[in-house]
Amino acid sequence: MPKTAKTLSAIFGFFLLLAASPMAAQNLEEKVTVHVLKNGLTVILAERHGAPVFSTMYGFKVGSADEYPGITGTAHLFEHMAFKGTPKIGTKDYEKELVLMEKIAKVGREWSLETAKGDKADKDKVAALRAELTKLEEEQAQHIVKDEIDLIYSNVGGVGLNAGTGTDQTSYIISLPANQLELFCLVESERIRNAVLREFYIERSVIQEERKQTTDAVPTRLLSEMFMGAAFLAHPYKNPVVGWASDINSVTLEEASAFKEKYYTPNNCVLAIAGDVTPAKAIPLIEKYFGDIPRGPDPPPFRTVEPKQLGERRVRFEFDAEPLLMMGFHKPNFPAKEDAAATVLSYILTSGRTSRMYKDLVQDKQIAVSVSAGSGPGVRFPNLFTFYATPRFPHTVEELEKAVLEHVEKVKTEPVSERELQKVKNNLEASYIRAMSSNMGLAGTLMRYQLLFGDWRLFLKYKDLVGSITAADVMDFAKTHLTAENRTVAVLVKKAKTS
Amino acid sequence: MKRQYRISAAAVAAALLLLALPGIGQKHPRELAQAPGLVFKPDKPISFTLSNGIQGLYFEDKELPLVWMAGRFKGGSLWEPAEKAGLAGLTGTVLRTGGSKTRTGDRINEELEFIAASIEAAGGSEYLTVSANGLKKDFGKLVEIYADLVMNPAFPQDKLDLARNQSLEGMRRRWDQPFQVANMLAQERIFGADTPWGRRTTPATLKTVTREDLAAFHARFFAPNNMTIGVVGDVPLAEVKAALEKAFKGWPKKTVTLPALPPLAEKADGTIYYAYKDTPQANMFLGHLGVRRNGPDQYKLDVMNNIFGGGGFTARLMKEVRSNRGLTYGIYGQVSAGLDRGGFMVGSQLKAAQFVEALDLIKGIIADLQTNLVGDEEIETAKNSIINSFVFNFEQKNSLLNQLMILKLQGFPDNYYETYIDNIRKITKEDVREAAKKHIDPAKMIIIIVGDEKKFDKPLSSVGKVKTIDLAALQAADQGGQK
Repeated sequence: MPKTAKTLSAIFGFFLLLAASPMAAQNLEEKVTVHVLKNGLTVILAERHGAPVFSTMYGFKVGSADEYPGITGTAHLFEHMAFKGTPKIGTKDYEKELVLMEKIAKVGREWSLETAKGDKADKDKVAALRAELTKLEEEQAQHIVKDEIDLIYSNVGGVGLNAGTGTDQTSYIISLPANQLELFCLVESERIRNAVLREFYIERSVIQEERKQTTDAVPTRLLSEMFMGAAFLAHPYKNPVVGWASDINSVTLEEASAFKEKYYTPNNCVLAIAGDVTPAKAIPLIEKYFGDIPRGPDPPPFRTVEPKQLGERRVRFEFDAEPLLMMGFHKPNFPAKEDAAATVLSYILTSGRTSRMYKDLVQDKQIAVSVSAGSGPGVRFPNLFTFYATPRFPHTVEELEKAVLEHVEKVKTEPVSERELQKVKNNLEASYIRAMSSNMGLAGTLMRYQLLFGDWRLFLKYKDLVGSITAADVMDFAKTHLTAENRTVAVLVKKAKTS
Repeated sequence: MKRQYRISAAAVAAALLLLALPGIGQKHPRELAQAPGLVFKPDKPISFTLSNGIQGLYFEDKELPLVWMAGRFKGGSLWEPAEKAGLAGLTGTVLRTGGSKTRTGDRINEELEFIAASIEAAGGSEYLTVSANGLKKDFGKLVEIYADLVMNPAFPQDKLDLARNQSLEGMRRRWDQPFQVANMLAQERIFGADTPWGRRTTPATLKTVTREDLAAFHARFFAPNNMTIGVVGDVPLAEVKAALEKAFKGWPKKTVTLPALPPLAEKADGTIYYAYKDTPQANMFLGHLGVRRNGPDQYKLDVMNNIFGGGGFTARLMKEVRSNRGLTYGIYGQVSAGLDRGGFMVGSQLKAAQFVEALDLIKGIIADLQTNLVGDEEIETAKNSIINSFVFNFEQKNSLLNQLMILKLQGFPDNYYETYIDNIRKITKEDVREAAKKHIDPAKMIIIIVGDEKKFDKPLSSVGKVKTIDLAALQAADQGGQK
């Protein structure tokens, strides 16, 4: 049972699936208990008494959207650091570590600042600082119990210890046998209260490699980065979750620590547990361990509003890979009615083999091998209705773009059919039931709605909104938002062979 | 959603206090009282046999109004002709998309998607699988379509063309990502490009496949006496059996033979294969052949793999190469088991500027595992992790049933699950070292690197004998004249 490497990064929160049905809604209401601690931590328990296991996801309302130039990637970087332990966990001698970490912070900062000068950096100085840093790190390593959080959970049979950072939130997950609830409460309350940023500069190096592995070498991710950068002029949704390479290379331990203090407060956190737990046993334990974490200041206000787009934006770049297309249009976010209309439209256009674009572009004309639509990159702020399409050789991205736009235009002039609307509703209803079929899936869904929108029941209520969407609403949405001046198109084309 | 803009002085003071008093009132997990024991009696699936010989396994699951089923047939790409590599995959895809003799694929798409149900088929290496899920109220309809597809697929030309065209595009794109390329090259060189395990499906082999081939491949393996089906959901067993009996009525038994496959021979000879690609990291796989499934060392290897490279951050590869050195975002390694031989493989995308350093680290980790005994705590953690997480096999009834079906088809003993924990408990530090010595041969393992040697810390020639692979030429040959 290999665990995946830490952080799911940008994948998190891109598409939010929403659905509900009255019967199942009642079913879920009965299983869910919400409890708010005095310090503001919101706890959601969902009882599923099958196998004696539970899954947890807790999240903080902070993601790459809360970053600014110079510290992009810090939400994600801190997420990695949260696995390095606490004053009690991960150490043989915390006092000795503290002395060394103070030196590491100082040398690391100097090294980072000098390195950030790029070509103008003093190479000897960089080398000397790097050597000094390595020496300090090796010294600290003598006092560290490696990855002890992992070790603790592995010993009791924990699986899937991981975390993810998105544009909107940062979340932490683990599944455990049912008899380990107290251990979970102890470890995680310690982590939230007092994460120690040991091994900071080594982990920063891991993230440099993560960026190369998951973005720089991956055509789809690279295109997405270019696309978001063009679609957003002002709003931080333009920045990649993993951060820009220069920022990852220069962010300091102090900056990561300050970022954490601002956002990692109980009042900015929702903890969801789904599985073989009962409120009678779980809530006292959670109170005992999490209850005395001090409430923090409210996170700083968010100010930047993306200005109205005044004209089409286009990105085209060459890469050593087959061509790809992305296209997006600005739109309101959840829980706006337009967002529900966009959800309905994405189903009708690209979900399944009977969707319009699959039937026409993939199956009949065979211009594309895949087309998908959805809302992203986040949901906390106004976002984009996005198409992502893969052309089939010898068809070009230009040809595919034209074909996608023909479908968009058709939605503006012909109402979608009642059968199409009904099919969407049937599928949303079923996806709602399926969302309850795994502990982690359920914990994640409840946590996200509570954290981002203040009430997990919106997961149920969204059904009324989607159910109320008419053919006219879909047409209105298309006419208002899917316009040329509100459009961004990004294409990757294959680099011409030079040799 | 309401955002709060107020920052109170008291809250700021609280934050400062938090900074000043690390670890207040907290303790280490070892100070916790022993957790209560976990009492758990897992349900056993019910076995049944239909009148035409189909073997069934069933779990009732009344939690949600859903039903899931999966049928497996022995047979797959291991038995397809080399010149038609890709046949099993196409058979699976077109079995579903092409519909039956009386229902077109498009009509089935409409019927299923309207009721939020799905049926999918796939041609794997050892099994052809047809799975389905839907709401329980639609179970009858689902079974009817399912059985029709399984017994009477039409394999029409247009859906074969569609599936083939999609695969061809996938083959154009399989060169786009360097780690994927490294993996492909490693599979071929470890298992042998001329064996059913290592050969690559190419545009040339795909193009030879006709709809008659699909029909013949289907006819060869799809028979009730070669089918095992699992059903999980909120539908009573009697209803399940009755629906299956009715739907598969009249499907005749026939002889299905799975010819013995030529045994794999170790070809790995320590060669380093280097393929240039302008990419930021060193994409590496190393390895050689692994072991036969259900063999005498399986439990030893389960523990060894956990310690070596399969156990997340407690595994040595991850701990050393990522966590201690920061040379990668992820690294995995294990000796795996296969029908004939699995593989011993390590894979990682490594920091180019320290690639040779990382490679030395990996070799050092292997050597240490073969020479020294692992630590007491280390083996305890590995065994505890495997034993205590075993309960997660029972979390999802459909994945449990699927796993049980596979174990049964692969000839594992009926009590494999019941005895698993005890078998892991018996493993010693000596067993781990012995397994590492016996099943890993550092002198033989080949190393595949896709990347740019100019970015590496040392030339590859300093590591060993290097053979160069020309990716551009390989890609051009693969595409067989397509531009």
